[in-house]
Amino acid sequence: MLYAMCFLLFIIGLYCVLVKKNMVKIVLGIVIMEYAVNLFLIMLGYRSGGIAPIVGQDEYTSGLVDASFIQASVDPLPQALVLTAIVISLGSLALMISICIRTYERYGTFDITQIRRLKG
Amino acid sequence: MKGMTVIVKTISSWVKMLVFLFGIYIILFGHITPGGGFAGGVILACSYVLIMLAFGREYAEENLSLKLASKLDCTGALIFIGIALIGFLYGGFSFFYNFIQQEYLADKDTAFHLISAGTIPLSNIAIGLKVGASLFLVLLLLSAFRLGESPEKEN
Repeated sequence: MLYAMCFLLFIIGLYCVLVKKNMVKIVLGIVIMEYAVNLFLIMLGYRSGGIAPIVGQDEYTSGLVDASFIQASVDPLPQALVLTAIVISLGSLALMISICIRTYERYGTFDITQIRRLKG
Repeated sequence: MKGMTVIVKTISSWVKMLVFLFGIYIILFGHITPGGGFAGGVILACSYVLIMLAFGREYAEENLSLKLASKLDCTGALIFIGIALIGFLYGGFSFFYNFIQQEYLADKDTAFHLISAGTIPLSNIAIGLKVGASLFLVLLLLSAFRLGESPEKEN
């Protein structure tokens, strides 16, 4: 069910990219799609009632990390992947916003149906 | 007078050093608590964004100029690749080899101290410099875009 909600969020972003004519709304649609994928990856590693996968002082002094700690903790690999994906989406968001600003400086509009003239 | 009202300026002049100090804390303790170079760098950039919002873009640019920010950006990247290459040379040709301290996990006394993880805190500091300076540059340049100030506007 939660995966279906995640897919629905992705479809909302895809609709926003395909249908809207404002460039800023297209950028928002791309960001919504990125967040849907990030949410999906985080939910893959989720375990209900799980603990954070951090080896602290208590777990370390009581001996090596045993199998029960690994059974109880959530999966840290999708979290590291999503952190990297957030960094990359931040960079691409800055690039898209600056492209929007430059296009608005040239054409005076955000409407993609009116940006047709070639100017060099 | 540039910037916001005097209330916002007073509060942000109190808060800006706390935010900066919290970013440094997140970077330095990144190997034993949640956080690290990226999160701390974002917090460092946020303190400058707070100055930029409250006092105006020119005041933030006087504090940390574009040239100094880009130099810090490149310095962070060079420190990071330098750590990786020193590990490559000293550690039997394996990239990012932890060449300072390899046996810290076997020693129960020095584990979970501030200086206990070899090259990982140095890498965190490098990433914090890189992320903080580059995110500050991104937000400064996005706020620097204005209508009619484009250099190619005339042609």
